[in-house]
Amino acid sequence: MLKLRSSVVACVLANGCYSGAAAGPDADTDVADDTVTGDGGGDTGVGACEGQDGGLADRARLRRLTRFEFNNTVRDLLGDDTLPGNAFPSEVIGNGFGNDANAQPVSSLLVEQYAAVAESVAARATETPERLAALAPCTSTVTDATEDSCARTLLDDLVSRAYRRPLAPGELDEIVALQQTFRAEADFAGSIAAVIETVLQSADFLYRVEHGTIDAEGRLRPTDHEMATRLSYFLWGTMPDDTLRAAAEAGELSTPSGVRAQAERMLADGRSRLMVRFFFDNLLPISSLSALERDAVRYPKYTGAIGALMREETHQFLAHHIFEGDGSWQGALTAEYTFMNEALAEYYGVAGVVGEEFREVALDTTQRLGVLTQAGVVAGTIHSNESNPVVRGSFLVQKIMCTQIPLPTGDVLAEIKPPDPDSGATARERFSQHSSDPACVTCHLMMDPVGFPLENYDAIGLWRDTENGVTIDASGSVPGTEGTVDGPVELVRKIATAEPTGRCFALHWANFAYGRTHAEEDSCVQEAVTVAFTDSGFDIRELLVTLTQTDAFLYMPAGEQ
Amino acid sequence: MKRPTLSRRAVLRGAGGIAIALPWLEAMAGGTRVGANARRFVSVYTPGGSVIDNGAGENRWRPTGTETEFTLSPILAPFEAIRHKLLVVDGLSMNSAVGEQHQAGIIAWLTGTTQQPDYGYSHGPSLDQVIASIVADGNVLESLQMAVRWGTGKSHGLLHPINVVNFENNATFDPIPPRLDPQAIFDSLFGALDPSTNSDLAARIARKKSILDFVDRRYSSLGQDLGARDKQKLDEHLDKIRELESALDDMIVPTDICLLPERIDTSDYNPTTGLDSADDGSVLNTQTDEAIPKVGRFMMDMLVMALACDVTNVASLQWSDTEAKHTFPWLGLDQHHHYYQHDGNFRPMECEQIVTWYAEQHAYLLQQMDLVDLGDHTLLDESVVFFGSELAQPPTHSKANMPFLLAGGGGGLRGGRFLRNEGIADPSHNNLLVAILNLFGDERTSFGDPAHCTGPLAGLT
Repeated sequence: MLKLRSSVVACVLANGCYSGAAAGPDADTDVADDTVTGDGGGDTGVGACEGQDGGLADRARLRRLTRFEFNNTVRDLLGDDTLPGNAFPSEVIGNGFGNDANAQPVSSLLVEQYAAVAESVAARATETPERLAALAPCTSTVTDATEDSCARTLLDDLVSRAYRRPLAPGELDEIVALQQTFRAEADFAGSIAAVIETVLQSADFLYRVEHGTIDAEGRLRPTDHEMATRLSYFLWGTMPDDTLRAAAEAGELSTPSGVRAQAERMLADGRSRLMVRFFFDNLLPISSLSALERDAVRYPKYTGAIGALMREETHQFLAHHIFEGDGSWQGALTAEYTFMNEALAEYYGVAGVVGEEFREVALDTTQRLGVLTQAGVVAGTIHSNESNPVVRGSFLVQKIMCTQIPLPTGDVLAEIKPPDPDSGATARERFSQHSSDPACVTCHLMMDPVGFPLENYDAIGLWRDTENGVTIDASGSVPGTEGTVDGPVELVRKIATAEPTGRCFALHWANFAYGRTHAEEDSCVQEAVTVAFTDSGFDIRELLVTLTQTDAFLYMPAGEQ
Repeated sequence: MKRPTLSRRAVLRGAGGIAIALPWLEAMAGGTRVGANARRFVSVYTPGGSVIDNGAGENRWRPTGTETEFTLSPILAPFEAIRHKLLVVDGLSMNSAVGEQHQAGIIAWLTGTTQQPDYGYSHGPSLDQVIASIVADGNVLESLQMAVRWGTGKSHGLLHPINVVNFENNATFDPIPPRLDPQAIFDSLFGALDPSTNSDLAARIARKKSILDFVDRRYSSLGQDLGARDKQKLDEHLDKIRELESALDDMIVPTDICLLPERIDTSDYNPTTGLDSADDGSVLNTQTDEAIPKVGRFMMDMLVMALACDVTNVASLQWSDTEAKHTFPWLGLDQHHHYYQHDGNFRPMECEQIVTWYAEQHAYLLQQMDLVDLGDHTLLDESVVFFGSELAQPPTHSKANMPFLLAGGGGGLRGGRFLRNEGIADPSHNNLLVAILNLFGDERTSFGDPAHCTGPLAGLT
């Protein structure tokens, strides 16, 4: 008999689960509507929040560079593309992007690794005359007589870029004095390396320090250089470029329109693609598609290389859709096209695609529609060799619609026996206990019916009409919406128009942009962002610009300064 | 301070000649260090509990017999050679493990606190960190955390409530990431002992001191200009920088017991393979899995020497995390541990194979510690070693009758015994945590969540 290896998720307690509308915080949008002035042209921000000066509740705001940001920053600062930050211990997973400023503990190991990585990055940055000359051209003709002035020139430029601000009076002198100390024991390159090793461990480099400045209206806002840093780490995941620094020098980042202009420029720049890629690698289950374990006999078509192509499909599609296509999240969820190259098209059974280059391909819209039906997304959610409607449903409900499903407590779980994996030909049969056992049904009603319509995709994301010879029943429903759906295409249409979907997407972006985990007290800003996003027709690029126009982005909580 | 005890060499010399006075022999019995506080604490975490019920009502873990006359169970059989220094602690419940079933278990194990809401971490420091603040004695590291094959499953290699055992003894009880890369561990612990890596060591230390001194001053002055919470964040960072600074002054020196461990080739082992993990364990790295026994032994050898060289007095070793989504090729098991626990229905035979293997590894660690001769006693004798898991019985996630083991003789801990703890008034494991703490001379009567702690568990000494 066929051995079913699918692991079955234990059914969970009804505790706190309901099958009615999944209302988000403050579903009434009328209130926030009055505060939204994001018309694109005016010089005011989005959603001023009365009595909450920084827009967001005042929690810790000092943000430390994540590994992604550290890697990008040393690449741009020193030309080091070895991804040295991967040696650091991991971030706390927190808001899903590992960048919650309130969840960045400092361990002994982290500080030790900062020191070790700084030493090796500094050594690489100074190991050849060419690398040194890239830091300052004067190093290539340096003599005993010019050495001091060359060091000063190099360090002024390097350290101010590393600190993302002009150096304070006297600060350069201190740094040059440090270099002189090292110079007594090492050659010129060695002394520069030691300063770089120092700078890379400094708080000014590792943390996004914000002192702020009081503006004409008496409100605390980031300085222009601090604003440049906010923009560059949000939209590019790295340090400001020369244009952004020049804009900061010229005082152009003190107004919402000035910030907007830079945000629009930066989004049009290819560097924003890397950030978008990082975002979706963390939002969608696609970052490890090249290493799925699948039984080679049952799934001869799946290979690691195909997995990598599936991930590429999702990224190519999203990049095109966001930057060149209609750009809406609803549109991404219901797009009638995707991107494939020849090998991937062959995998899907689509004819007429030639070559390694990815290109736009029309979908058979009876089988697939939008990003959630791409092979990588449906394959990446599930267990080894069998599809699993529970985990697929849970992904859609929790990650795409932001409806939390509580887990049961240990006491109750001890009484619940997991279903037998050999108990049915189809997933619907195997998970039937979920709809009959009262201990399971309430919570599982929120997951299983959302997952069942995806049963037309097997464990490697390919279309199927039957499972073990039995015709698949792909009917289901979406919690919080009217009626039922049949099959994946109807499912994603329903999800795309469900109220929580747009709100949820905006929430993930706000968490990512502001480096926090949404809490009730942030709902004013969140509501304003959601309304602006909805009004824009769920335009993703406009959402990213909107996130730079809120009080949360333009101001700082006044409480502590 | 320390009561003089008879060294092993002295006994051997004495044995050839005159009769040995009885009280002295008692002082040596089972390695118990009567009257001296425990000096070292080692905690070893293994996932997935044990096999408390094999499905046929049989407890495959529990010894049979009385406190002092007992037969080790099949799972504990690997401890036979070191049983005189082993204390089997049965019958306790992890009542403070309230939260997500696995996460709450691993969090409560050393903290005795419930899980914070919304899949948070602990409500208090872990026992090892509290002990570290008591026993730290000019060591290079206050404490050492290591993990083998960590960050599997849905943590995707990130710090997550499924994989943290250690929590800082600070205001926010921050989770502590373990060290994962065996080669990096070797370099940072023993680099100074390794002639191949310590050329220009003095110059390098001088440079590092200048650097850290400058960085230290910058963190201090910057913190003055920022709000209280931001300053606190920088201060926490500064504390760790100072730890690193003082470590430069505490370089270890080789002695006849502090020896450079053999550096093992682990190029076939990817310490951060968890970064590629999938929620359900479907992403496998069998080459890395294959190397687990070798890497585990290397880490245990380094752990023992880290203690013997006084690099630290407190060490933790994690064998994976609560997801345990890796395979066991050397046991012929090609599914992940969680699959055998319940994802693929409870498979008691396979679970028993896995936990017995962990028992063998732990017996090795204890024996290695017992081989370090400190003159009148061994390294194990002045230590307390705590072995545990996040639950007792895999398919139900039950946390009653936890499969806990203590070993060593620190603080008067008496091995060679089986504490059944049947019918005791309060079987909450918090009582064990505070009793362990007492072995280190700390006299508090409660640890962790007070609602789950009624006072030190009796019978350890």
